[in-house]
Amino acid sequence: MGRKEFISDGLRLDGRRPKELRRMRSQIGVLQSADGSAMFQMGNTQAPQFGAAPHRLAAAATAARPQVLASVFGPREVEVRSQLKTDRAIVKCEYAMAAFSTGERRRRGKSDRRSTELSSVIRNTLEQTIQLEEYARSQIDVYVQVLQADGGTRCACINAAMLALADAGIKLRDTVAACAAGYLASTPLLDMNYEEDSAGGPDVAVAYQPGLDKIVLLQMDGRLAAEAFDECVQLAVQGCREVAAAMRKALVGHTKALMAAGGGAAGGGRG
Amino acid sequence: MAPVEASQADDAAAALVGKVAAPGDVVMLLPDSGRVAIGSGGLRPLGGAVVASKCGVVRRSTGGMLWVEGRQKRYIPAEGDTVIGVVVDRLSEHLTVDIGGPFKAVLPMLSFEGATKRNRPAVYEGDVVSARVVTSNPDMDPVLSCVDAQGKASGLGHLKGGLTLECSCAWARALLSRPMPAVVAALGKEAAFEMAAGLNGRVWVDAPSAGLAVRVAAALARAEEELGPGDDAAAFVRRALAGELSAAGGGAG
Repeated sequence: MGRKEFISDGLRLDGRRPKELRRMRSQIGVLQSADGSAMFQMGNTQAPQFGAAPHRLAAAATAARPQVLASVFGPREVEVRSQLKTDRAIVKCEYAMAAFSTGERRRRGKSDRRSTELSSVIRNTLEQTIQLEEYARSQIDVYVQVLQADGGTRCACINAAMLALADAGIKLRDTVAACAAGYLASTPLLDMNYEEDSAGGPDVAVAYQPGLDKIVLLQMDGRLAAEAFDECVQLAVQGCREVAAAMRKALVGHTKALMAAGGGAAGGGRG
Repeated sequence: MAPVEASQADDAAAALVGKVAAPGDVVMLLPDSGRVAIGSGGLRPLGGAVVASKCGVVRRSTGGMLWVEGRQKRYIPAEGDTVIGVVVDRLSEHLTVDIGGPFKAVLPMLSFEGATKRNRPAVYEGDVVSARVVTSNPDMDPVLSCVDAQGKASGLGHLKGGLTLECSCAWARALLSRPMPAVVAALGKEAAFEMAAGLNGRVWVDAPSAGLAVRVAAALARAEEELGPGDDAAAFVRRALAGELSAAGGGAG
């Protein structure tokens, strides 16, 4: 097999520029039983629709786009009394990968190391975003399920969880968006797909709150020189800003649609 | 916070009222002088500005209080709200009531009209009650009462028979508002039924026959999504009472 050219003529393997994000798609309020829910997906067109037949999802797995379903339950009573905190809410996060999410079907337990680590990372990010003091003595559950895995699932999970929390009406300090950057062929690359991710280069994942200008998560796999690291972090933050803008647009659009649907029947309409 | 008139703040806020805000959006900048009233409804002060905490439309009351009106499924109890709950436990001094909020509520045995220590109300596990939220303190479970301030029931108390359906809090609020939503007025013309709505997104419906009660409840539940402001409420209601609403969705019982 020939050596792969990750960048040639300034274009990456999937035709993007180094600092270009994949396109995002989100659907908010997809689950009836959850207090808040959202589907989030980074990728191109022809996305398999929610509820598509399994064979189409499997075929699309080669087409490289992470797809995540997040659901939020709460605030509600704490299940385990000993964990109750009198001044703030506790957040529980569960990360799971569907058996069909990768190219090869594989059942994964919920307590394998990767799931535990990612659950903890997502929970940590969300704890810094939710106004926990507003929900004293209660518990907020966030379930994140990866329906289709590809480079950047941890970022897609945080983004999906953020949309689900906003859908549930849970008070947040700010929106939070996550994005990852890497470094291949001496170039910082934004939002790597599966092939680029597997190339063995470093991967810097960042979650960022744009309004407060605050980085709430910073993780790196691999090794990177200090200057290159700074470049990658800056690039990832820039990507986060773009993701945040797209998510905000989706939230505003969804809210407008909801208000329009119910507003007429109220007979009073808009203020 | 009690609403207080603000002068400079009025002009600053006027531009954003009616617009949709997302969490983290700056709703207004705090003026140099005057007072700005923000309730606990989704806004918080941050530095020199007022920032939204959740998604929704920015609203302003006549008293000048700002808040964000969103559409959430889960009810957060507020003092003075009328809610409909299901009794989940009967203890000697109080009833535990599920009102769909973060915590189960407490309804003291003596908070019913005509109740005394010797004469306890005949309300048991599984019964539906309509009550008023008396206190909703973040450090305690919410406390309800089935009498108003004067000690009269005035529509509160044990709701016998009927069925309860769940809907969004905003729709329940609409059902309680004046003028009456078109679907309720149209239903009232075609059928005889009783309805009680709680701001926690629960509606209780009773009618002379079980079938009619189910159809009225289905009509109320589906009207939120299916009946727009310009649609014909009378035709929708006739279809619903004939049992012709399709089986999917809704939330009866």
